[in-house]
Parts: sequence; structure tokens; C-alpha cells
Amino acid sequence: MKVLLMGHPNVGKSVVFNRLTGANVFISNYPGTTVEYTRGYMKIESESEKIEVIDVPGTFSLEPKDKAEEVAVEMLKKEKEAVVISIVDSSKIERGLYLTLEIIEKGYPLILALNMWDIAKDKKIDIDIEELRNLLYIPVVPTIAISGEGIKELVREIKKAKPVKINKIIERVERTK
Amino acid sequence: MEKKFSEMKYGEKGVVKRIEKGFQEKIAGMGIRVGKKVEMLTREPLRGPVVVIVDESRTSLGLGMAKKITVEV
Repeated sequence: MKVLLMGHPNVGKSVVFNRLTGANVFISNYPGTTVEYTRGYMKIESESEKIEVIDVPGTFSLEPKDKAEEVAVEMLKKEKEAVVISIVDSSKIERGLYLTLEIIEKGYPLILALNMWDIAKDKKIDIDIEELRNLLYIPVVPTIAISGEGIKELVREIKKAKPVKINKIIERVERTK
Repeated sequence: MEKKFSEMKYGEKGVVKRIEKGFQEKIAGMGIRVGKKVEMLTREPLRGPVVVIVDESRTSLGLGMAKKITVEV
């Protein structure tokens, strides 16, 4: 089983990655490019299976604008069986959700990590997590990666992630209007 | 008044009115879509990029990109 960490640049992907994997990490160039990515392993409690975690280069959308974004999109394409953890900066949630929905649309099981939850709170941004769960039908976990908050919950949700149909989400959103 | 993004003055605020067809998806990942409030921060000299504030964060757009966006100011 593989887990891909995806999100915009500077949302804390690598911090989440370090929290999940610990030691035993490999850094390599994506074949044929000078774009680096990191790969490591984690274990879920009570299970012996090792899970490979890949820290995908940051990308704004699935329409690549530079080499690093190209690699990110290619990695996602290659790992058809992977579970994606979409990491979003809670204080800039709208842009993050755009990428998240793009990945959902491609049919990947996805967990949404609302990272930098403390910063959003400081900026007085209220996010209705229940409503997000009801609309998206995916696990949504608030996290503060630098202090480790929410990481356990994130791990617990990995096995629960299932692909969702994008038109169902659109239907649910339309209904709330 | 409507203006091209590239014609906005320093510190001018506006709302995105139109984005050229085929270009919307490309720019949506940066958080720019129709109806979004934007503020022009600076324009680099020598046909350089335009820096704008969207959602409290800065984004720079090439001059060519900025010309494809119409803003109501």
C-alpha cells in the first residue's frame, strides 16, 4: 500500500511526512529530472504491513506549470492504487480545496488534512469540519503538523479512505444553495 | 470600471470579472476565479510579472497572463 502526500508548496507536507515516517527515509531524483522527492515507510498499529509514504513535490493544480509540478502529476498518475493525503493550509483553504477536488475527480481515495489549524484559528477563520465531511464524504482531519496534533487521527483514517464521485459532491453542494 | 489586470495601479483593488477562455483552469489553482477580490501590489519593471494579493497571500502572474484577466475596479 502506498500513501501520497500532496498539496501546495509550503503547506507542511514534509513536516507531516516526518511525523508519519521517522527514520529510514530515502531521497532521490525523479528519474530523468533533477526534481527531488522523499520516500519513507510507516506502520499502522496492530498491522504488520509496511506502508510506503511518498512526499510528492508541491503543486498548485494538476495542470503542471513547471518541472516539479510535472513530476507531481506524473507520480500521481503512476500510483493508481495509492491513497492520497491532501494537505491544505487551513488559512488558505479555498485554493487547497481546488487541488483536492481535482485529485478526487481522478478517482483517488483521499483524506483531507487541514494543516496549520492553529494559524487559521489565530486569523479567526472558522471552518465547519462536519459540513465539509457531509459535502465531500471523505475523512477530514484538522492537524498542526509542527506540534504533531491530529497526526494519529490522520493515520487512523488512512484505511477508511474511499474514492468518491465528483458529481455526487456537486449535487450535494447544489442542494445547500 | 473594467480594466485589464495588467493595467491596474499600485494598491488598486478590484473583483475579477472575466477570465479568457481556456485559461480559467490554469489559473484556478492559484486561487484566482471570477468573483474573487484581488489587490494589485506591485508591477515589476521591464514587462515583468504583476504581483497580486488573493486570499491574503501573494501571487505573481506573468504580464501575458495578467492581460487575460479583466477586473472590475
